[in-house]
Amino acid sequence: MSKSYSLTLTIRRFDPDASRRWFQTYTLSTGPILRFVDLFRRINVEQDATLAWTSSCEHAQCGSCSVKVNGRPMLACELLVENAVNLFGTTKFRIEPVTVAPVVRDLVVDWEKAYERVHRAKPYLIEPKELPPGMTEHRISPGKIARYEEATRCINCFCCAEACLSSCRNFIGPNAAMAGIVRMMDIRETQKEERLDLLYSEEGIYRCHTSKACSHVCPKEIDVAHFIALAKEGAF
Amino acid sequence: MGKTLQIHSTLACDVLIIGAGGAGLRCAAFIHERRPDLKVFAVTKVAHPQKSHTGTAQGGLAAVDPKDRTDSALFHMFDTWKGGDCSSDQNVVRKIVAGGWEEVQWLELRGMHLSRDEEGNISKRQFGGHTVEFGKGDALRAVFEADRTGKGIMDTVWGEALKGGALFINATVATELLFNEGRCVGAVLFKVKEGEFVAALAGATVLATGGSGQVYRITTNCRNNTGDGPAVILRAGLPVMDPEAVQFHPTGIVGPGILASEALRSEGGILRNKDLEPFMERYAPKMKNLAPRDIVARSIEMEIREGRGIMNPDHQLEHVWIDLRHLPDHVHEVKLKEVASFFKTYANLDSRTQLCPVRPSNHYHMGGIPTNEYGEVQKSADAIVPGLFAIGECACASLHGFNRLGTNSLLELLVMGRCAGERVLSFLKENRAPAVKDAGEATLALFARYLEAQGKENVGLIRQEMRAMMTGKVGVFRDETGLQEAVASLADLKRRAAQAPVAVKDMRMNQELLERWELDNLLDNAMTIAQGALMRKESRGAHFREDYPERSDEYQFHTLVSMTDFGKVCFGKRPIDMSIHESGGEHAERFGIMPRKY
Ligand SMILES: Cc1cc2nc3c(=O)[nH]c(=O)nc-3n(C[C@H](O)[C@H](O)[C@H](O)COP(=O)(O)OP(=O)(O)OC[C@H]3O[C@@H](n4cnc5c(N)ncnc54)[C@H](O)[C@@H]3O)c2cc1C
Ligand code: SF4
Ligand code: SF4
Repeated sequence: MSKSYSLTLTIRRFDPDASRRWFQTYTLSTGPILRFVDLFRRINVEQDATLAWTSSCEHAQCGSCSVKVNGRPMLACELLVENAVNLFGTTKFRIEPVTVAPVVRDLVVDWEKAYERVHRAKPYLIEPKELPPGMTEHRISPGKIARYEEATRCINCFCCAEACLSSCRNFIGPNAAMAGIVRMMDIRETQKEERLDLLYSEEGIYRCHTSKACSHVCPKEIDVAHFIALAKEGAF
Repeated sequence: MGKTLQIHSTLACDVLIIGAGGAGLRCAAFIHERRPDLKVFAVTKVAHPQKSHTGTAQGGLAAVDPKDRTDSALFHMFDTWKGGDCSSDQNVVRKIVAGGWEEVQWLELRGMHLSRDEEGNISKRQFGGHTVEFGKGDALRAVFEADRTGKGIMDTVWGEALKGGALFINATVATELLFNEGRCVGAVLFKVKEGEFVAALAGATVLATGGSGQVYRITTNCRNNTGDGPAVILRAGLPVMDPEAVQFHPTGIVGPGILASEALRSEGGILRNKDLEPFMERYAPKMKNLAPRDIVARSIEMEIREGRGIMNPDHQLEHVWIDLRHLPDHVHEVKLKEVASFFKTYANLDSRTQLCPVRPSNHYHMGGIPTNEYGEVQKSADAIVPGLFAIGECACASLHGFNRLGTNSLLELLVMGRCAGERVLSFLKENRAPAVKDAGEATLALFARYLEAQGKENVGLIRQEMRAMMTGKVGVFRDETGLQEAVASLADLKRRAAQAPVAVKDMRMNQELLERWELDNLLDNAMTIAQGALMRKESRGAHFREDYPERSDEYQFHTLVSMTDFGKVCFGKRPIDMSIHESGGEHAERFGIMPRKY
């Protein structure tokens, strides 16, 4: 039952001290259900302690470990060896940091810079609606929430932004746009005008070309493009 | 090499919050709502506050809805007291339980997408150990956001903290607390990305660094939960409380230990050993697979120990099976959707047709930095450290006693976040922050030692050995011999760690250097856990001594333990508050010392 794979990981490295960039190849023999984060950790312990990479929860709930594997943005904590071999049809993988934020070292990027876009989209209720008299909480029908619930699952891993060709130009990016769209659809938000201004601004949703690359790569299987399409139609 | 380390700059703020998870940012948001003029720093080790571990909590948030005629705060207090094996502080229990629904309202009004019933009201679900009428029936007491309650809370608190103007200092660790005449006046921060040390001076400092699960090999906790908060406290000569009280979840997914919810068993899953025997029938003939968490965890561990476990070749870990194959498709697809998808994602298994590997996984540390009911850090049972506060999982007030009920932790971090915020504001009114001299020398010396260390040891290997040893000897089962071996082996690992060099000398995003520092924190935490467990010759809540399987009144107190030299511990005691019992009020008799039997 225990299969074994002999893998070649070619990892893009960056040393800020010497401003040096290079590719480094590591070979590992591993079982089928190790995750790519387990491989990175093994490289650290067994071969090269200097390789830097990011993760936190390591079960696809925090979105810290996004990297490009053979060009495709993915969460390293969710990618099992066996699945990677099947998906790409090879045991050779080229691993690179995402490009939505500057690289700090090796696979570690400055997520703070990427998050600036989400912060610009105001990821909170700008001005929450007051409670109706006599009520202690809002009443919201499950049907209303169901329309945008999927979008609330976004973990800001920026895989969509990485895949989106428009987001490297002036577009605020799919996940940041979605952060605004969710609040447009939330009946508790009263500041819809300000939100619309941002969504239709220079960096707003009209920069999106509806290629749907975002939906295709989202590890949470959120149909990001669908929400952007709703916003384009004004169907909040 | 050769560059001397230095404090790059000194920053000043009114409130320094160390740890921007659920607890820290609830506190930040509260302070901003009351006092928008104050400057609040929220420091986080992760890349952005949203990445904090609170975001992974699944099940729910316990809070008694005052509109609910069937439930009452008193019932919730009773459950918490009983669940904690009579080791929670009743003043704290009363306060936190009373503040629950206010937090639900706060979250709801600020946009949390709580799950709703058909009428649009907030839904509630049942959770283990939560009852009505002192154990008579199940309570519907946990509000939730589908299977991502923690994420809903995390998103709301970081949004609110951002809106209020909190200054996030990301990818940064606090390495040392700063004091002036006994009062905490800030901390030294190591900005990992930039590789810079800064001194952050503050009117008040709040520790909210979260859990310490990385002490164990198999854990539901994130990579960053290395117990930094308690380690920093110990290095300041202050005590931690009840470190031996560590909760293990019976069903972590092999290998990493990812939490597979209780629902697995409540929906009819059957635990089996390598001979496919449904072994729970032997350990709990009546409740079988539905027995409480700690009993199931011990049973699984016993099966593995007696050679009836199965070895997973990839992760080199022994486990048992959970059999879900007999359950109807709709259970897999609807009720167990999330867990079923975890098995698929992390083990490539289809729970409808295949057995799934599980084993006990470290989950929650009830102990931590001792505080009173206002979140003020204590230096002894009856004295506080002015200017220093602690909240969330790194703190111990103690709500959970020796065993936490599911959903009570999210409740605690919200209520304590707010209460500590209130206290911080009144503290700031009366006090001004004096400046300190020599800030950061201890940190600079420590990191210089790391960079200069020479030898053949390897930080990663030592960490691996420590985690495996702790899981084996200071885990679900503990006994005198094992604990003594653990203490000796930790001392040895600590010696070896001093001979582990760091290859990268450049300070920017020096992961090796950070992990070297974390290793010291892990070792400190591990040592206090092992020593506390060795001292406590009884079994209480999640702390189970095979050689002393019963709870003993002799140990009816909180452990205080300080450690300025590695391994040399100094014990103290803090009495367990029983003010509800002593008040003589209605149902006070329910809050006495009782057996934890369900
Ligand atoms: C998988 C899982 C499921 C759970 N489900 C539930 C549930 O359903 N209900 C429930 O009540 N509880 C649950 N819990 C427990 C609960 O989620 C945690 O106890 C709680 O979220 C901890 O919150 P916190 O704010 O204390 O810490 P965290 O959210 O972990 O935040 C800690 C913060 O401190 C930062 N930090 C750490 N070290 C440093 C340092 N040295 N310097 C600066 N910053 C630092 C971190 O980066 C982070 O920002 C669950 C736990 C897990 C692991
Ligand atoms: S929409 Fe999906 S891919 Fe994009 S940031 Fe959110 S979770 Fe990641
Ligand atoms: S659909 Fe729009 S947002 Fe999504 S990837 Fe294409 S251009 Fe980007």
